[in-house]
Amino acid sequence: MSFYIPIGPQHPVHPEPLLMKFKVEGEQVIDVEINVSYTHRGIEKGLEYRDYMKGIFLAERICGICNAAHTLCYVQNIEQLLNKEVPPRAKYLRLIVEELSRIHSHLLWLGLAAHQIGFETLFMYVWRDRERVLDLLEMITGNRVVTSYNTIGGVRRNITPEMEQKIRKGLDYLEKRTKYFKKVVMEEPTVLVRTQNVGILKPREAIELFAVGPVLRASSIKHDVRADDPYAAHDEVPFNVITYDTCDVYARILVRIDEVLECINMIRYSLDHLPSGKYRIRLPVVIKPPPGESVSRVEAPRGDLLHYVKSDGSDKPYRYKVRTPTLANIPSTARMLTSRGDYIVYIADIPIIFGSVDPCLCCTGRVMFVDVEKGKSWVWTYNELVKYSRERFERHD
Amino acid sequence: MIEVLYKIIQMILFPGFAFIGVLSLLYEWIDRKFYAKLQNRVGPLYAGPHGILQPLADFIKLLSKEDIIPEGADKFLFTLTPIFFFAVNLLLTLLLPICGTSGVISFTGDLIFFVALLTITSILVYTAGVASVNRFATIGAERAVLQFIGYEIPFMLSIVSVVISSGSLTIKNIVESQSNMWYILGPNLLAFAVYVIAVQAELERIPFDIPEAEQEIVAGWLVEYSGKKLALFRLGRDIETLLLCGLGATLFLGGPLGPVIPGLEIILHTLYFTIKSIIILLILTTLKAIFARIRVDQMLVFSWKYLIPLSLISVLIVRVVF
Repeated sequence: MSFYIPIGPQHPVHPEPLLMKFKVEGEQVIDVEINVSYTHRGIEKGLEYRDYMKGIFLAERICGICNAAHTLCYVQNIEQLLNKEVPPRAKYLRLIVEELSRIHSHLLWLGLAAHQIGFETLFMYVWRDRERVLDLLEMITGNRVVTSYNTIGGVRRNITPEMEQKIRKGLDYLEKRTKYFKKVVMEEPTVLVRTQNVGILKPREAIELFAVGPVLRASSIKHDVRADDPYAAHDEVPFNVITYDTCDVYARILVRIDEVLECINMIRYSLDHLPSGKYRIRLPVVIKPPPGESVSRVEAPRGDLLHYVKSDGSDKPYRYKVRTPTLANIPSTARMLTSRGDYIVYIADIPIIFGSVDPCLCCTGRVMFVDVEKGKSWVWTYNELVKYSRERFERHD
Repeated sequence: MIEVLYKIIQMILFPGFAFIGVLSLLYEWIDRKFYAKLQNRVGPLYAGPHGILQPLADFIKLLSKEDIIPEGADKFLFTLTPIFFFAVNLLLTLLLPICGTSGVISFTGDLIFFVALLTITSILVYTAGVASVNRFATIGAERAVLQFIGYEIPFMLSIVSVVISSGSLTIKNIVESQSNMWYILGPNLLAFAVYVIAVQAELERIPFDIPEAEQEIVAGWLVEYSGKKLALFRLGRDIETLLLCGLGATLFLGGPLGPVIPGLEIILHTLYFTIKSIIILLILTTLKAIFARIRVDQMLVFSWKYLIPLSLISVLIVRVVF
């Protein structure tokens, strides 16, 4: 006998709003239906109503944890429109903060993954050590999580030699702890039985379903925007693209842990080779880029992030479009969560499989109406949405 | 008349219900505090010195909370199960030899009675899950039964080892037969290891907290319970922890036995019993801290591939030696 169990919109491990309807038979999952569109925040539209400077702060709030990546992507776009080059020191500083927030994101995820397989002690340990990277971010940018560091034309703050010493000390500690966590993950038998051969995504499927980021790299495909399409100082700072070929949750854990170690080396290299000079070029407060369009890509902690902007010459963007990595990873998640052939998904594996893509659902909401019977889909305009909300408000009144 | 009055005091005050209630809340505090220390946290802190009153505060808070019975639930079973769960566990504590070599109640073959009633608590878990008619609770109940198939046999077999060693099914005789040497020091060490693992599964603690796995099925069979009923389940679980740690201490660590000063027997016996059972509790807590949760199929494979053969080997060794 099969029945449906709902995971979400409220669930202990996925505090973010999404609904996964699982058709289960005993402990086995047969089918899954994912609905990610619970919060539509209208950020793309909101960006069209703000001038370019204010847009930075809205772009930052698309996602809390990858905020450094979002602002970087945004400011790169505007700089491309303006055709301005940022000073080399700013490029390095951007890289340092981006990689620090990647360390933060990956460690946070590692703790959550441990929590999702019921390994509470590892969860507590990782989150304690994550505080260290938050302290570093606070020292550099002034904020713990939402950094507000990147700005059009450079960065907001400089790194002093004293800060540099503190960063190096913090990195040494983080490296030691990350290596310890890697040892724990690779040696603890209960972690191995819970993660190996779970959540399989074959390389071919990963390409077909447009997986991005660590999920793609854990399916043994060497793809990283930092290497393929370098931005900031990534063309000068060497690093290895980490791939694993077991294509399961275990590989995704190892990819992220190894990326943390790579990030630490990259930050060390950037501190060694930090160019002197200005860290920001001054631009007028009201920015009016010439008409045109621009696309910028950044490797966010969760994967390939894409921003598109179209300017009509005014002080506000004519159209802004964001493609977040989690949205790109949803189809492959659905594939991972479906039993097929020898590969069986158990109810117990749901949290860790879904968690292994590092979901961040606040940025996935999209509005589209679909009439399933007629096979028709359409989108409402802003005015239609306002009209609908007014009518509803009056009805309830 | 005096006899009867003495028995009643034993049953209600010491070492009966009141004492057991206090002790089980203390055990919960030790469990939480030690678990927190292992995880680099502080644990309960505010209620009482070092948060020692936190379990009591939680219990009182739950009593005052709204008590909801879901619409589709079987109201009779739903209400009765927590009461039974609590009562069965409380009854069994009377068999534990806390302040002397025998419990408040002691009769020939009381170990069988003990083990049989423990099985009932496992079945009550299933009843609770099924009676609440919730998808998560149903899955939790299914898992509880599957897990039961895994841990019950090694649990019984580890007790059988001790029974063979002592040649008796009465708790009193088993305790007295350990006056020369505790069973854990002899060939029963293997049985003790199996016992501890089986108890971990019986108490639904990591890595065997499969029936109530918070991350997967919210709270499993407990999901619909709230207020007084949840409070009874939680206190029942605490008493069960005390019960199983105490039984382990009785069977393997000589229970209340130890060097005694005349005149202070009762206090010293109680002290020894408490210390020994706390040692077992600390072992259980450490196990809880160093593992991830395994899946129910993996648990069954582990149990039937390793735990049951191990317990059979243990029985064999003990049979050859004694």
